[in-house]
Amino acid sequence: MDRRELLKMVALATGGVMIGGEFLLSGCKNEKSGAVAFKPDDIAFLDEVGETIIPTTSSPGAKAAGIGNFMKVMVTDCYTEPDQKVFMEGIRQLNEFCKKKNGIGFMQATPQQRTALLEKIDAEAKAYQKEKNEKEAKLKEEAAKERNKTIALSPNHYFTMMKQLTLFGYFTSKPGATQALRYVAVPGHYDGCMPYKKGDKAWAT
Amino acid sequence: MPGNQPNIATKATEANTYDAIVIGSGISGGWAAKELTEKGLKTIMLERGRNFEHIKDYKTAQWDPWDFPHRGRTTEAQRKAYPVIHRGWAANEAVMDYWANEQDCPYTEIKPFTWWRSYQLGGRSILWGRQSYRWSDFDFEANAKDGIAIDWPVRYKEIAPWYDYVEKFAGISGSLEGLPQLPDGQYLPPIPLNCVEKEVAARLKKQYNNQRHLFIGRVANITKPIQSRTNCQFRNRCWEGCPFGGYFSTQSSTLPAAIATDKLTVRPFSIVTRIIYDKNTQKATGVEVLDAETNQSYTYYAKIVFLNASALNSAWVLMNSATDIWPDGLGSSSGELGHNIMDHHYNCGASGIMPGFEDVYYDGGRRPTGFYIPRFANLFNDKRNYLRGFGYQGGASREGWSREVAELNIGANFKEALTQPGTWTIGATAFGEILPYHENKITLDPNKKDKWGLPVLAMDAEIKDNEKAMRKDMVNEMAQMLTAVGATQVTTWDNGHAMGHGIHEMGTARMGTDPKTSVLNKYNQVWDAKNVFVTDGSFMVSAACVNPSLTYMAFTARAVNHAVDELKKNNI
Repeated sequence: MDRRELLKMVALATGGVMIGGEFLLSGCKNEKSGAVAFKPDDIAFLDEVGETIIPTTSSPGAKAAGIGNFMKVMVTDCYTEPDQKVFMEGIRQLNEFCKKKNGIGFMQATPQQRTALLEKIDAEAKAYQKEKNEKEAKLKEEAAKERNKTIALSPNHYFTMMKQLTLFGYFTSKPGATQALRYVAVPGHYDGCMPYKKGDKAWAT
Repeated sequence: MPGNQPNIATKATEANTYDAIVIGSGISGGWAAKELTEKGLKTIMLERGRNFEHIKDYKTAQWDPWDFPHRGRTTEAQRKAYPVIHRGWAANEAVMDYWANEQDCPYTEIKPFTWWRSYQLGGRSILWGRQSYRWSDFDFEANAKDGIAIDWPVRYKEIAPWYDYVEKFAGISGSLEGLPQLPDGQYLPPIPLNCVEKEVAARLKKQYNNQRHLFIGRVANITKPIQSRTNCQFRNRCWEGCPFGGYFSTQSSTLPAAIATDKLTVRPFSIVTRIIYDKNTQKATGVEVLDAETNQSYTYYAKIVFLNASALNSAWVLMNSATDIWPDGLGSSSGELGHNIMDHHYNCGASGIMPGFEDVYYDGGRRPTGFYIPRFANLFNDKRNYLRGFGYQGGASREGWSREVAELNIGANFKEALTQPGTWTIGATAFGEILPYHENKITLDPNKKDKWGLPVLAMDAEIKDNEKAMRKDMVNEMAQMLTAVGATQVTTWDNGHAMGHGIHEMGTARMGTDPKTSVLNKYNQVWDAKNVFVTDGSFMVSAACVNPSLTYMAFTARAVNHAVDELKKNNI
């Protein structure tokens, strides 16, 4: 088996790694596709959501990594229909929430307003996913006792999807991997004991 | 290059006649072809899937992560098309078309069975995990000592020179450890452990009185150039196919050697439907092939047949052969053909955080292996409430961007935190031995056919109480060891094990000393047709707990040597 994948499994088991890791275990899901139709406005919107999560600093932000388009590809090709629906509806919900809070839509909001808004939604999404995971872990445990029994999963939070896709898409993109992180295509050697000083970048792969 | 334009069969019998036929082109088939051709035999290698050329067909191997449209994830459509591959970690955008088409090639699961197949030239030698360990006499003697199944007809001493032989050619990197339960071999320099692993190895020795060992996984990745192959470049993308030839595969190693003899013909899209048996001579005369593209049937003739289609498919070929003499197929006279299926059970272990070591990291290299902890259970004075044992494979690394960062959720500070490595984590999964149970079997399903109208296999196998008791220990021992070496927040997991998931299927045509209780003799010859040799995982009498491919290589080289000797003596 591929060692790298094995190590990911190991990391997964700690429960500490969710982004990307969750994709790894569930793969991209089954059922019917085609519930999504991203408009250019949606891509632009998602670019700004991504840029708020991973902004431009000394390295490019998520927008420069084409995060809106990446989300479109992943949601269209790899999400289940229920998840697709939650995601599309999430774009609308996020904007409505912004209007309610700030009196203007997300695209019109200032970077400070956007950050404050997403901090709030992120906290809500985390609490929601935590409760969902705990509930489903219990159900799975019970289902495991009966062979072939499947459990009904409740929907994921839309912001969990957006944040996961932003992080995954950004850090595996060229700007993310080569400028925010370090990437060497053909290392040619391995030294497992290099000095590290705080601030040195992590390896992309 | 290999098989570019393979000699396609003509109708003339003479043109279809070879000295030897090799069925299958994976690890053991590649070895059979190399050894047979190097001994001067005109050989045809039959592969049921497509041609797959070294370097040229590794289409993603030079891509960067961002070149993958889904960054490695698979799509909903792929998930539907490949439900079995999606049961585990093997579903990845880079290699999806390396796996066998599950719609064309169904099978029946009387009990859950995860069968990961690769139907293309090279078979699973492209995708394999490359871990390469020798067996010891603890393994070869285990059945006899425990009174389980039948005894192995060989002992380590007889196989050791063949391990030497195949290791030198395949190129195995590893360290010499001097352990009787895991004999040292002919190794290229070991890939290093990282700082944390080195320290954990030292602590483990100390905590367990020098009875527990942790060292780098012995792996078929070369750390020095051999033959025309470049040494491993530490990209850890082996399974996409290595453009450097950095690891052993049919394409990088055995096939070029066989091609160089000018004695080899490769024929892709060749599904062997049966071995043709002559009851007068009690030998095989050849094989019948169904062309997977044209549906035409062809016959090939040879003095020797090597069956290397993988443990389950080799049994399938035998079950479909000589049914006019034995209703259950060639090699079924013992009643053991298709029985005694084994695998290694895994998907359980433990992991934790290693505090400290914040001032060390690794360079940009990505190792194609991790650490190995060899078996300790039921060895020497150790006694457990189950038979046999297990080893661990794992690694230590610093967390990357996918971790949670305390107090940070959004924005510049969050991003900056994620661009630096996190704490060190360490974990390992266990690989345990599964006993050979006669009732764990495969049969032909009379009701289901594949795309070509051929009967499919029905799997009826499972792990039992011995393995279940072992799994508890596999998890607990790892958790205890991690705690003992100073790991914190140690967590365990056990995701259960469906047979086949270990991708180490074996035992369907076991060898032995008595034709009444075994399918093959000690040289992998079918008792009922002595010019037919089965040298993939089918011949295994027990499973041990180490990865088996190196053992298949050694037995294959030995079997060819024997076959050619016997041929010279006119014994077959």
